[in-house]
Amino acid sequence: MEGIADYLDSLIGGIDLTFYSIAIGGLLWGWLILKPWEDETRFNNALLEKTVALIQFGSKALIFTQLSKIGLKIWLMSVTLGKSPFPAFFHTVQFNAGIARAASAAVLFYYVKTALSKHLRSEQRWLTANAILLPLVVSAAWLVHGASRLEDRGLLMSITVIHQIAAAAWVGGIFQLLAIWRLKKRNLVGVELWPVVLKRFSVLGVGAVVVLLLTGTPLAWYYIRTFQGFIGAGYGNLLMVKIMMMGLALGFAWLNRQAVVEFFESRSLYTLTAKVPYYIEAETLVLLTILFTAASLASQPPSMDIPSLTATWQEVLGMFEPRLPRYTSPSHEALLAGEPGRVAIVGQVPSEAATAWSDYNHNISGIFLTTMSFFAMLSYSARFHRWARFWPVGFMLLGVFLFFRSDAETWPLGPIGFWDSTFNNGEVLQHRIATFLVFGLGWMEIKARIAKEPGMLPFVFPLLAAFGGMMLLAHSHVGFEPKTAFLIQVGHTLMGVFSLILACGRWLELKLDAPGKNIAGFISVFALFQIGIVLMFYREPLY
Amino acid sequence: MRLISKLVFVLSLITSCGVHAHAVVTHNSLALKPVPVNQASQVELSFNSKVELDLSEIHLVSAGDKMQVIEAVPGDKPGKVLLNLPALMPGEYAIKLKVFAADGHLSEDLLRFFVKQPQ
Ligand SMILES: [Cu+2]
Repeated sequence: MEGIADYLDSLIGGIDLTFYSIAIGGLLWGWLILKPWEDETRFNNALLEKTVALIQFGSKALIFTQLSKIGLKIWLMSVTLGKSPFPAFFHTVQFNAGIARAASAAVLFYYVKTALSKHLRSEQRWLTANAILLPLVVSAAWLVHGASRLEDRGLLMSITVIHQIAAAAWVGGIFQLLAIWRLKKRNLVGVELWPVVLKRFSVLGVGAVVVLLLTGTPLAWYYIRTFQGFIGAGYGNLLMVKIMMMGLALGFAWLNRQAVVEFFESRSLYTLTAKVPYYIEAETLVLLTILFTAASLASQPPSMDIPSLTATWQEVLGMFEPRLPRYTSPSHEALLAGEPGRVAIVGQVPSEAATAWSDYNHNISGIFLTTMSFFAMLSYSARFHRWARFWPVGFMLLGVFLFFRSDAETWPLGPIGFWDSTFNNGEVLQHRIATFLVFGLGWMEIKARIAKEPGMLPFVFPLLAAFGGMMLLAHSHVGFEPKTAFLIQVGHTLMGVFSLILACGRWLELKLDAPGKNIAGFISVFALFQIGIVLMFYREPLY
Repeated sequence: MRLISKLVFVLSLITSCGVHAHAVVTHNSLALKPVPVNQASQVELSFNSKVELDLSEIHLVSAGDKMQVIEAVPGDKPGKVLLNLPALMPGEYAIKLKVFAADGHLSEDLLRFFVKQPQ
């Protein structure tokens, strides 16, 4: 059960940030962008009701996630320590600030529900609701990384909290835009509103980005300090990934801004309605992934604290060096024989067989994926389309391969039973879920591609790809060998980024018209190819 | 922590193993002051953050991965912890820490050391 508790604990941080953003970003949206008290006619009640409903939902969900966070922490501690964490846990900052945060979220929820939603156009009520954010934000400050630091605590806490608010303004605003687009599709708001809200939001968006950079840079400097810390430790690596994804999100934001500028010159709604909503959807996937990465970043030791455990840039590059994939596997017996030594704490003996076994699995999976991406690329040509479009069959084959290979010590190859291993070992459970999903994915994707009326089925693939990328980034771990773990992590976080690109590309391929459709699709398949390449050359450090 | 499959590209990719590390040991006295043979001693650790000792668990690991709980007391500054080691025979040992950092992260750490007969 420890595995499951740890796994959920690492996910809930991202979920929590998402609801926090919906609540806070929604209030800022109403206060700074809609200003419904200024103009009686522009925003109708359907829109304002939706806006407030979203804020209400965000604050309610925040109460539950915050309480679950505390509950999970208690569970995690009792299974890890093997004893009840009470009464000591009641005296921790974690517990007290957590309860305070849940309580502030509850007050906010109550006010939005009973006061704001009854007077949607009252400036006073909007101001009060925004003022109620203050205790919520302040109690959150005791739950960030900076709160446990021994030095510069107040400064780090304040900067982090401002950083979070800027992120919330952006993410929350994007959710509001998506809600308005849905209202527009149902003709509950006029189409003329769409360019107006987009234009107003782009001003706020630019402001949010400026604040993110102004607060993010000193934080990064404080926690990292050296180039090696940036390139050779988990904290720096996740920050780098965050910067890459931020670039991606800014790319979409820029496309949207261009479309708005174009509209006010040409008055043609085409780009604004046939492209921008889908860019915003893709941007949402990217932003959510950034939130999960941010939560994961907060659980890494800052690079500055582990200077003796950082890798050099040569070691990092070495992880991506092209080489012949390993195509032979050690025997199952050799693998099991090396296990006791590898996991021993005192008198540890690194296991060559374990490393070779793992490399083989990764490399062969890489060959599966690169081959699939090759056929996928061919399927864009009319000549090969008929048969090359069955490329997702590769996922099903990969699923079968992984089922036999991923956990050698368990059924069907090893002595530990299926159910026993699945529920008592977090890693095995994750591999099982992964294996099952990969297989199911292949099956579904083929169905989606050959069906005449596939309905929503084709969207499952990009959503799962985005989810997979998120998992990779949300659950990077540091064990007893931080440097080894980091070197393994480097390749995996890069795959997380490519998964996200794969997801966004496929999403846009499904939504856009030609030629944008084909460009997006090809980028998506190319990201799959890149994942394959990373895996094909993967070499685990010996430990 | 073999991290095997993971890869599974999309989806899954879920890599796991281990608990998050946030509170890490930045300094320890083991390197400067070797643990004496057959004599109880004290080890000083400095963490990078405040830790909740009541919610932490510290084990001494000896040959064959035998675990024994050891007593930990707060040092003179926040983030400092003193461990009381029993008298130890020469050999390889490790200190295995499960520590709850003040920001809510449960971290594990491992410090390996040798007890040697003075030359
Ligand atoms: Cu892997």
